[in-house]
Amino acid sequence: MISLTVFLNKLVLIFVAGFFLFPNLAKTEEVGKDSAIASKGKSRIAIYPVENLSGIVAPVKEIRQVCIEKLKGHGVDVLEEEVLEKFMTKYRIRYTGGVNREIAKAFRQDINVDGVLIISLGFYSDANPPKISLISRLVSTGEDPSILWMEGVGLAGDDSPGILGLGLIEDPKILIDKSLKTILTSLMRYLSGGQEGQVDKGAKKKFHPKISYRSPALDSNRKYSVAIAPFFSISERKYAGEIMTLHFARELKRAGNFNIIEPGVVRQAFLELRIVMEQGVSLANAELILGMLNADLVISGKVTDYEDYQGTWGKPKVGFNAQLIERKSREVVWSSNSYNQGDDGVFFFDRGRVNTAHALASQMTQWVGKMMLEDSKRVQGIEGSKDRVK
Amino acid sequence: MKGISQMSRFKFILFGVFLLFISCAGHQTTYIDSNMDFGSVKTVAVMPFVGLTRDPVVAERVRDVFINKLLATGAVYVIPVGEVARGTARAEIQNPTALSSDETIKLGGIIKVQAVIIGTVKEYGEVRSGTVSSNIISLSLQMIETQTGKIVWTAASTKGGISTWDRLFGGGGKPMNVVTEKAVDDLINSLLK
Repeated sequence: MISLTVFLNKLVLIFVAGFFLFPNLAKTEEVGKDSAIASKGKSRIAIYPVENLSGIVAPVKEIRQVCIEKLKGHGVDVLEEEVLEKFMTKYRIRYTGGVNREIAKAFRQDINVDGVLIISLGFYSDANPPKISLISRLVSTGEDPSILWMEGVGLAGDDSPGILGLGLIEDPKILIDKSLKTILTSLMRYLSGGQEGQVDKGAKKKFHPKISYRSPALDSNRKYSVAIAPFFSISERKYAGEIMTLHFARELKRAGNFNIIEPGVVRQAFLELRIVMEQGVSLANAELILGMLNADLVISGKVTDYEDYQGTWGKPKVGFNAQLIERKSREVVWSSNSYNQGDDGVFFFDRGRVNTAHALASQMTQWVGKMMLEDSKRVQGIEGSKDRVK
Repeated sequence: MKGISQMSRFKFILFGVFLLFISCAGHQTTYIDSNMDFGSVKTVAVMPFVGLTRDPVVAERVRDVFINKLLATGAVYVIPVGEVARGTARAEIQNPTALSSDETIKLGGIIKVQAVIIGTVKEYGEVRSGTVSSNIISLSLQMIETQTGKIVWTAASTKGGISTWDRLFGGGGKPMNVVTEKAVDDLINSLLK
């Protein structure tokens, strides 16, 4: 009898220890199939056709179809295809990479849609090992469209080869499924009221900006509203500027202190003001844009390199610089230059190697966001800031 | 006879030391206007650089690195490149890479800067010698005061290239970005020292 009590006590202790040691186990239910949007109410989501930024022919229709099916499977109320087509025809929507104010308002008033899911395909390669990169965001509708959720993923078939190459993925369809699973799990977590997805681990130190300047005028405790201007691209990759804009939107949003204005709204403002940027945002343009969008900061920059590779041999390469102009002081409050390659800091057995430009750019922009929010005393006037920012 | 040979030996050693000094001299050449008060320069504009290389975007790359490095020193404020482009258009400057004195003064009045910096990227990329290759950059800069239109500082720097070590033991040299940063550091040090 005594031994039974001791046994039960031990069992309870093991369970308690288990709860403390593996808290994530408790979360698995949250992302389950039944935790769908139904729990949140009668939200209705429209899924835009996939924006193809890969520069090559890619199975965008298939990606969208899989996405629709999976979301419906999770119980999400997805807008019917015919209704969306009619709506897009009515408002002559050709650009599917964002939502402007007029369209967002119409979505709410005309067809009672609560959110628009925008999916951008950054890269696709079906050569063995296949590679894919996707960035997706959910934009609210109504008077003031804003980014509710944003997630991205960059995968290669040989990311985790495992022992004897058993973990290699050779079928592009499996990789598409895997990438969508990552994105939709994060979306479902958001829709079910959980925290926004934290798919990536913390960015490694080797991806920090190589040169950076931070003005003391940038207050790390204040919440800023940020407009991301289109990035210039002098790289050979088509749409590198657009892809980098999305990376910044995602990582700055995740940084916490920035309220990112929906890129579709920013694009519309540029078109309405007929701003043609020759080399970058001038102070006069910045003032106009920030005034129109009621934002505090405008970020712009240049992509010098954005290279992916196909097949087994090669390495991705990303290089960019970014400048942040503040509305109030009319000054550059942040400026940085970043460049990295997939094999930076890799010495043994490809450990730590990055296989897609997406994964590389994601970590690099994450560092930029992190350093923008760092204490000004530590970061101001950094030059080759290897050791100063932890 | 013995005295002469001692004398010629001394001359030979002296000549050797002279050669050693010459060979140790850096590639940097600098001119600084002794009458210029650099402390009064708080805001500068970096104009588009001239690229004498095959790759047309090289000048843009080097310019961006230079702007960021200069800002990072905290010594001067560099106005955004978009503002420089706007000022250039407003001042009706045909060739912003090579400014005349009048154009500099006019531009300075529009964009409110105390000095403008122009530059030339003379060499950028890979050089080969036999089986060995390495990256090299050669860059020269000029600072022009906007009040008078006079050149107050010029400097040039060459970094990278194939060293004796590379020739003997091989090796691909340093990455282009690192070499560029070194050359830019070299020039900024000569400006701010």
